[in-house]
Amino acid sequence: MTARRRPALFILTAVAVGLVVGQGCGQIRLPGKIGDAAQKAKDASKIVKVVRSGFGDITEEEEYYIGRSVAALILSRYAVLDRPPLTQYLNTLGQAVVLASDRPEIYAGWHFLVLDTDEVNALAAPGGLIFVTKGLLSLCPDEDTLAMILAHEIGHITAKHGLQAIKKSRLTEAFTALGAQAAEAYGPAELAQITSIFEGVLSDIVEKLVVNGYDRKSEHEADSLAVKIGAARGYDPNGLLRFLRTMVGDASAVSGKGWFKTHPTPEQRLEKTKAEIGRLKTAPALEDVRTQRFQLAMAHGR
Amino acid sequence: MIRSRGSVLAASAFILAGLLLAAEAIVVKVQTTPLRRAPEFFAPEVAKLKAGDRLELLAVQGAWRQVKTAAGLTGWVHSSAADVAKFNLLAMSGGTKTETSAKEAALAGKGFSREIEQSYRAKNPGVSYAWVDKMIALGVPPGQVEDFIAKGKLGEAGGAR
Repeated sequence: MTARRRPALFILTAVAVGLVVGQGCGQIRLPGKIGDAAQKAKDASKIVKVVRSGFGDITEEEEYYIGRSVAALILSRYAVLDRPPLTQYLNTLGQAVVLASDRPEIYAGWHFLVLDTDEVNALAAPGGLIFVTKGLLSLCPDEDTLAMILAHEIGHITAKHGLQAIKKSRLTEAFTALGAQAAEAYGPAELAQITSIFEGVLSDIVEKLVVNGYDRKSEHEADSLAVKIGAARGYDPNGLLRFLRTMVGDASAVSGKGWFKTHPTPEQRLEKTKAEIGRLKTAPALEDVRTQRFQLAMAHGR
Repeated sequence: MIRSRGSVLAASAFILAGLLLAAEAIVVKVQTTPLRRAPEFFAPEVAKLKAGDRLELLAVQGAWRQVKTAAGLTGWVHSSAADVAKFNLLAMSGGTKTETSAKEAALAGKGFSREIEQSYRAKNPGVSYAWVDKMIALGVPPGQVEDFIAKGKLGEAGGAR
């Protein structure tokens, strides 16, 4: 090593150290005037705007609190079929299916409930709260079919279709209001404003879930996710086809009620789902042991 | 002499790499999640982690993350339960670190939270949460799910992921 190479070594070391130090300190900006609360609030709001812009920026905890209230509103329209053995079966089946999804863990866990109505429907509130109706259960011939329907609803939640129903302008308003005050607690005026935005968020989601139904794209995406999740779990994905076939020509599907309160008809969904199943390397088959335990559980719902 | 200069270089590189790796931390984003002994859903639980717990990321295996807790315990968490602090990363492109921590502090306990739900409920007393709370309390022991999967011939206990 000659003396000429020594500066090079120094420069290299200095650059390395500079890089590290730069990472830590280079971006620090000195605070402005102390006590300028209004400016601070303005800054905080600006940062939140930069940081949170779309439905994907809603935190897990917020999704949970939105989902709880959406579920409460669903439960204000339907009664619960309170049969513990049936509920237990549905929740065990649901847990088995979610483990094959890409969101097996969700803020407060996945939970499933049966609604006491003859309407054929299934609903997924954000945050992992899923409802199926007694009418839908009565049309399922086996566990695999029910598992595929749950996988479809799980797909709506993992793809955050419910949260996507929140109007963009409302989300911007929410993110601005939520981050506007740097204090630990909201003042009465902020709380009233945010509560009113929260009501709007719930109404956007409930309108999509219960009143109008999802659009074509979301339904096809949930069917596609159902095939992937269901088959990964070990269920026969043709269960979804069996259910969709039952619904072809059914009055509730034709009139666009319940599970078919959406633009794609059962026929359109059948076609796409068949193609999706065709793309699987292998599709699991039905097993008698599952159909038997399904029938036992369903006997509790009658 | 050569060896010592080599050591200086190596040490610089080591410090640089070490400092960059030390930044690899993930945060628990669900209410609670088990720290598991192995990267499998039904692996024994080492400890219970809670929302906001910061974990040092040691290794990645598919959807599983090997982590070390602040208490020094090592185990595995699923990627759906813990992730890089999102706002921190996003803020790096638009703000400074100081702004990010100020924002994080401002957001702690904020957002659509229990406080907002309480306020909504006070305004809408007709909306009942009784069944919502019962629904959230519905639990299935992991052993029961594992048994259900095995008896139903549903393949690998943890699913394909």
